[in-house]
Amino acid sequence: MELLRPSSLQELDGGLLVAGGTEVVPLLRDGLLTAERLVDIRGVVPRGVQDGSIGAGTTLGELEADPSIPAALREACRLAASPQLRNMGSLGGNLLQSTRCWYWRLEYPCRLHGGDRCHAREGEHREHAIFANDFCASAHPSDVAAALLALDARLRTTRRELPLAELYRLPDESDRRTTTLDQGELILEVLLPEVQASAYLKAMDRKRWSFPQVGVAAARLAGGEVRLGLAGVAPVPWLIRAPEELDSATPLPRTAWKVDVARALVRRALAAL
Amino acid sequence: MARLIRTEKEVEGRFEEVWLVVEEDPLTQWPAGPLAVVGRDAVRKDGRERVRGEARYTADVKLPGMLHAVLLRSPYAHARVTRIDFTRALARQGVRAALGPGEANGLVEEPEYTGQPVAAIAADTLEQARAALAEIDVEWEELEAVLDPEEAVARELFTMETVRSERGDYERALAEADVVVEGTYRTSVVLHNSMETHQAVCEWIGDTLHAYVSTQYLWGVRDDLAKELGVPGDKVRVVCEFMGGGFGSKNGADEQTYAAAVLAKKTGRPVRCALSRREENTAAGNRNATIQKLTVGARSDGTIVALGGEFINAVGASGWSAMTEGPLTMLYACDNVRTVRYGAKINTPPMKAFRAPGFVEGTFGLECLIDELAEKLELDPLELRRRNYADSNDGKPFSSKNLMQCYDLAQSHWDRRDEVRARSDSTWKHGVGIASQIWFGGGGPPSYAWTRVGSDGRVTVVTAMQDIGTGTRTAMAQIAAEELGVPLDRVDVVLGDTARGPYATLSAGSSTTPSIGPAVRAAAADAKRQIVEIAAQRHHLEERVISIEDGVVKSADGNLSTPLEQLLELLEDAQILGKGARGPNPTGMSVLTFGIHVVEVAVDVETGEVRVDRVFAAHDVGRIVNALGARSQVEGGIIQGIGHTLSEVRLHDPETGRILTTTLDAYRMPTIADVPEIVAEFVDVPDEHLTNLGSKGLGEPPIVPIAAAIANAIRDATGADVHELPISREEMLRALEAAKQKERRGAPAAV
Repeated sequence: MELLRPSSLQELDGGLLVAGGTEVVPLLRDGLLTAERLVDIRGVVPRGVQDGSIGAGTTLGELEADPSIPAALREACRLAASPQLRNMGSLGGNLLQSTRCWYWRLEYPCRLHGGDRCHAREGEHREHAIFANDFCASAHPSDVAAALLALDARLRTTRRELPLAELYRLPDESDRRTTTLDQGELILEVLLPEVQASAYLKAMDRKRWSFPQVGVAAARLAGGEVRLGLAGVAPVPWLIRAPEELDSATPLPRTAWKVDVARALVRRALAAL
Repeated sequence: MARLIRTEKEVEGRFEEVWLVVEEDPLTQWPAGPLAVVGRDAVRKDGRERVRGEARYTADVKLPGMLHAVLLRSPYAHARVTRIDFTRALARQGVRAALGPGEANGLVEEPEYTGQPVAAIAADTLEQARAALAEIDVEWEELEAVLDPEEAVARELFTMETVRSERGDYERALAEADVVVEGTYRTSVVLHNSMETHQAVCEWIGDTLHAYVSTQYLWGVRDDLAKELGVPGDKVRVVCEFMGGGFGSKNGADEQTYAAAVLAKKTGRPVRCALSRREENTAAGNRNATIQKLTVGARSDGTIVALGGEFINAVGASGWSAMTEGPLTMLYACDNVRTVRYGAKINTPPMKAFRAPGFVEGTFGLECLIDELAEKLELDPLELRRRNYADSNDGKPFSSKNLMQCYDLAQSHWDRRDEVRARSDSTWKHGVGIASQIWFGGGGPPSYAWTRVGSDGRVTVVTAMQDIGTGTRTAMAQIAAEELGVPLDRVDVVLGDTARGPYATLSAGSSTTPSIGPAVRAAAADAKRQIVEIAAQRHHLEERVISIEDGVVKSADGNLSTPLEQLLELLEDAQILGKGARGPNPTGMSVLTFGIHVVEVAVDVETGEVRVDRVFAAHDVGRIVNALGARSQVEGGIIQGIGHTLSEVRLHDPETGRILTTTLDAYRMPTIADVPEIVAEFVDVPDEHLTNLGSKGLGEPPIVPIAAAIANAIRDATGADVHELPISREEMLRALEAAKQKERRGAPAAV
């Protein structure tokens, strides 16, 4: 295996891209990713915060300590992972992380791996999705993505600019991917609109170092629009506009509790605005 | 004098009749309470080495030319290897040897759980060995797997015989009871998750096997290996000087040790076999799940008249069925008791002993049931426990029991509950709960120790015991220092090597201090006797007037006051040698440990979050040797127990039996942020019938009552009865909803 460290975007030419490595390295070790060539992109992806634009290479640790960052995003960073992981993990990488579904991680031939069934639906699914879980019941683990969804962030990539919501797609029969990123396309910056107020609340089963059982971000934008971004409830970060949308959840037998938790957190997050 | 006795030996609640050679010493117990060194706070003697990375764990053993072995594990919950071919694997670069089913103990032809080893490969590097695993050609015949413990019981699939116990007339007592409370309680599979995974490095030097093993029982591994390899016991040397945790999962050799030993023989090179975290969390043992159907009958004054329990231990593919009914049969005075315990054989990884096996699970069920009884009787739960205090264990007297004093120590903490409840608001409900603890922990013979006192006045304790991380080195040094009258920093302890000391028992079942401590004291006393004899002759005094205090040899009249090293100068390079043995346990007595926890919790009734705010623990384990170490032990047990109660659960796929929670993000142990305020106190009264020390063990007691105390605090805070561990948000919200329904239906009729 070779490791390249390019210093400009022009030098990028294939290979598996790595920033902090907190997601890619474990996946490599478990054989869920394979690569002959690793490309360390920390020399080419912007890092740091400037006028509402956040470099995708900025670490979660840097964001949680930056007072210019909206509360929902800061809190989502602070409640994610552990200090060691947050000091390495990048914003861009966090948005692209894979589900924690144990069937997927253990390489069951599930739908996300191209197979023809979702093992979690009939199996052990107590931590799985309550929305859009018919085809695949995996839950998206990113706290940060939920916060950015609520904050109505946009992304600038090497090829385009798009709303965060359009980065994600639900897997289906013809295409099992959960993002719309093309081969070789790289997230460069996250752009934040003006925000009046925001908050992030997270249910975990221990106080630190836990993926969200349910994460709820709420934001009131400059124009008064209120948005809610949810983590851990669907195969992708989930946007709702009003608490009533939780009534349309389709929980599995052992995930009904997540709807109750989401209701309480949505109520509290809205109250915190 | 050596004496041959026939006695009952107990380890982890398992009893057997054995012949034992014991030696009795003439020592009388020290007075109760803190002494010069024993009973005081002592920081760990090896703390510096540990934190500086100088302590050599098994994981640090790297020998020249060492090969790395890995195990091929079954992908099926039940299967048969019909063909196995290593040709391709052995042709790979760096691969040196392979073992198939039957070629080493633990490598089987018919795996009975997903993850059971069937073959092993040794290669120059770990990566080469792992890559070669995929090149082993195996044909499997998949066989029927049973994964549901209740189905196993219905089909009479057991790992050991069903155990029934009965005293009195249970049926009649139940029929005559004023109130009866029934409940079904479930506990889940939890993992030891030792920081150091199971591992061994084996090397043959001449005809002797040197085995570096992360183990709680050097001598057990020695015997296991000698038997496996067909060599005399003394041709196997087992070393474990520092240990990264075991909690009961490392009491024997296990497959990785056997594979390393056999591969080392086959290749003529040292071989290391270490489990990865994923393997550790799959196939290194676990606390098995249980289902407990419990019944209590009582008179309206709170007197318990009948206790019944049907217990299913979901043991796994093999293993023993722990004494889950123990707390129910032993904790309270009750004449009419009936229990049955099934050890269900299912195709999941086998249980191993885990910090008070059976009693942790059984105490959760029993102590929740007792609180539900208190609620029904409208009696104070602590008062109910006092009213049913047992004065004997099924007619057998206790060697010592100070549980009532534990209750008294707990009273002021229990009395805080009005104040704690008053903190509740509309979402966070606060409450206080208690649970009692009963467990073994008396240890037993045989165990031996030597002492060596040099002309520099330093003392070395030599015994082939192990310090599994509990602070044994420090405790044994304290005992020797106390007996010899020298400062603690003058005592070194050599342990962890079967070639460098006499036999000592395993470090399990809270038995280390009560088993080996008395031998160390006897060995120190033997050396002291000789020093006093030398001083008497040197200074023409009577022995009885001579003492040693703080390293100074003194006469009663004060005329002699000479530092120990000055007296012993005459030895030059020679040494005073002492030896000591563990005497027998008191005959006809029940040696048990006791305690109580008082827990304060807060429950978010909207999200099901449970927060443990404070734990008060009082334990009666006889004499305390190291007060600081004892408090640390209580903290460790409580933290581990909080994990089992609230966040930890090992899950398997109900279809394939494969373990799903193999990594530390999926199997969630508490972080330091989850640790509440913990206050630990001890009765600290020596057990006058138990050895020259009067100490019992403390490794396990603090994990026993914590789950029930948390559950009872939750009931106090919210009115909800939780009946299942872990108390996840799902279980908490279910219990809250059930409590709401119950309230809607109206409170149960008063008795």
